[in-house]
Amino acid sequence: MSRSSLTPADLVRVSLLGIGARKLRATLSVLGIAIGIAAIVCVLGISESSAAGLERQLDRLGTNLLSVQPGQNLTGDQTTLPLPAEQTLTNAPYVQQVSGIATVSGTVLRNKHVGSNFTGGISIKAARPNLPAILRGQIAQGTFLNAATSNYPVTVLGAVAAQRLGITTLRPGTAVWLGGKAFTVAGVLAPIQLSPDIDRSALIGFAEAKQAFHIDGSASTVYLRTDPQHVAAAADSLAAAASPAHPDQVSVSQPSAALSAQLAAKKTFNSLFLGLGTVAVLVGAIGIANVMVISVLERRSEIGLRRALGATRRHIAGQFIGESLALALLGGLAGSAIGSLVTAGYAEYKHWHTVIPATGLGLGIGATLAIGALAGLYPATRAARLSPTQALAR
Amino acid sequence: MHKIYPGPVEVLHGIDLTVERDEQVAIVGPSGSGKSTLLNLIGILDRPTSGTLVLDGHDTAALSDGRLAGLRAATIGFVFQQFFLLDYRTALDNVADGLLYTATPLRERRRRAAEVLDRVGLGDRLRHRPGQLSGGERQRVAIARALVGRPALVLADEPTGSLDTANGTAILKLLSELHDEGTTLVVITHDPTVAGAMDREIHIRDGRIHPEPT
Repeated sequence: MSRSSLTPADLVRVSLLGIGARKLRATLSVLGIAIGIAAIVCVLGISESSAAGLERQLDRLGTNLLSVQPGQNLTGDQTTLPLPAEQTLTNAPYVQQVSGIATVSGTVLRNKHVGSNFTGGISIKAARPNLPAILRGQIAQGTFLNAATSNYPVTVLGAVAAQRLGITTLRPGTAVWLGGKAFTVAGVLAPIQLSPDIDRSALIGFAEAKQAFHIDGSASTVYLRTDPQHVAAAADSLAAAASPAHPDQVSVSQPSAALSAQLAAKKTFNSLFLGLGTVAVLVGAIGIANVMVISVLERRSEIGLRRALGATRRHIAGQFIGESLALALLGGLAGSAIGSLVTAGYAEYKHWHTVIPATGLGLGIGATLAIGALAGLYPATRAARLSPTQALAR
Repeated sequence: MHKIYPGPVEVLHGIDLTVERDEQVAIVGPSGSGKSTLLNLIGILDRPTSGTLVLDGHDTAALSDGRLAGLRAATIGFVFQQFFLLDYRTALDNVADGLLYTATPLRERRRRAAEVLDRVGLGDRLRHRPGQLSGGERQRVAIARALVGRPALVLADEPTGSLDTANGTAILKLLSELHDEGTTLVVITHDPTVAGAMDREIHIRDGRIHPEPT
C-alpha cells in the first residue's frame, strides 16, 4: 500500500505559498520580530564598533606607557623628584625608554606687545627630543626639538597651544614670546591622547631651559616605555628607582588606564538595551502566534481539503510550523539587515571601523527559529487535530 | 455501520452497503438523512462509531492516520459541492496539488495536471486563478484535481449542486466518461438526471437505506 508523503522541498513550498498568499498580514506580523532583532544587532554592532575603535587606539598607543610624578610628603606639601631620577629610572628593570619633562615658569605670549594676561593658559615645559616617540605623538607641522635646537631659543607648540596662539600655518621665522624672550617655532604637535597637558604647552630644550629660565633640571614627570609583558612588575619597582630615599613620595600611573576603563564601560553598558530588544522579539513572537491561530481558523476548508488529498496530521502540522518558522526567519533576516545597515551608517558617521557582531547575528537567527517553532506549535497542533469532516463542514 | 456524533446524535443506524469495483452509484435522499456522513465514511475522512469499512481489501479500522492518508492520496478522488479550490493558486497548481502527497516530483505533477485540465476542456485556462473562472469551470478544475491521481474510486458530493443545467450536463458527461474508463463512482445528488445516469440508486432516509423504488 502506498504511504502518504510530502517531500521536504514541497513542505517548504507549501509553507511559503501560505505566506505569499497573505503578504500584508505576513509583513505586519514579521515587523515585531524584525524591530527586536534590529535593536539587538544595532546595540551589539554599535558598541562593538566603538569598542573596536578604542581597542585600535589602545593598540596604537600601547598600554606599556607609565608616568612617574612627584607626590606629596607627610605634611601634604608638593615634593620634587630627585635630580638623577631620570637616569636611575633608565636602569630600572623592564624599562626600555625614558623621557622626562620639567615645568618651567614663565608666560607664553604671541608677541611682546600682547598684555601679560593673555597667556591662554599655556605653560612652558622642557622636553627631551625623544618625547613624541615615547608618547606615540605625531608632528603636525615642522620638526620636533633635536639635540642641536635644544640649546637655542626654539620651541615646539602643543596642538591646543598653537591654536590658542593663532598659529595655524607655520612659516619660517614664526616666533612666540616665552618668558619675555623670542623663541622660534620649529614645529607644532598633533594632539597627544596619552598626555593631553602636552597639548597646552610650549616645549623647549632642557639646555635652553637651564640657561634662560635657570631650572635645576629635575623632571616634573618622567614617561617610560616598559617591556609590554611586565608592565605591572615594572610599575612596582619605579617608585624606589626614582627616589630611593622617599619612594612613598612618588606616584606612578598608567596613562592608558583611562582608555581601558572606557573600553570596559562600553562592553557592560548594553544589558538594558539588549533587554529591551529581547522584549520586542518576544512581543513579535506573540504576534506571529496570534496570526497563525487566526490563519488556522480561516483556513479550515484548506486543511480539510489537504486531508482529503492525502495529507496526514503530521503534514498539516508541518505546514503551519513551517509557515511560522518562515515568518520568524523573515523577521530575523529583515531585522539583521536593518540592524547591520544602521550600525554601518552610524560607524561611518563616527569614523569607526564597522564591526557586525557575527555571533550576535548567528544567535539572533537561531533565536528567531526557536521562537518561530514555539509560536507555531499551538496553532499547528490545533490544525492537525481538526478532523477532516469538521474542517470541510461549513 | 453506525455513526454517532457527540450529543449523542445517531446519524447512521446500521448501513450495510457494498459497492463493486467499476460500479457507479448514486446516493439520494433528503437533507439531513446522513448522505454526506456516509460519503465521509466511505472516503475514510471519518471513522464509523461501530462496524467496519473495507476499502480495496483493507479493513480501515486497523489503519493508522498515515496509512489512511496514503489510501486517500492514492485511491480516492474527492469532488465537493463547494469545489474547495485554493484562491491563491492557479488552476494548474490547484490540480497539481492533487498529487502533492504522493511523492510525485513537481514537474511531473504539473505535466499531469495540464493533461487532465486539457481533458476536461480547460487547456486554455491553466494560468487562471479560481476567481477568474466561472462556476462550471471551477467544478471542472475540482474534478480534474480528483482525477489527476488516477484514483480507483471517485466520491462526489453534489457535484452539480451549484451549477446551472448546461454546466451540470457537462459535468455529468465528464463523470460518465470516467466511469467508462473503469473508475468506481459514488455520487451524492438531488438531481434526478444525475441519479438516473448511474447504475444504481441508493435511497437514504433517517440514516437507513430504503429499498429502491422501481
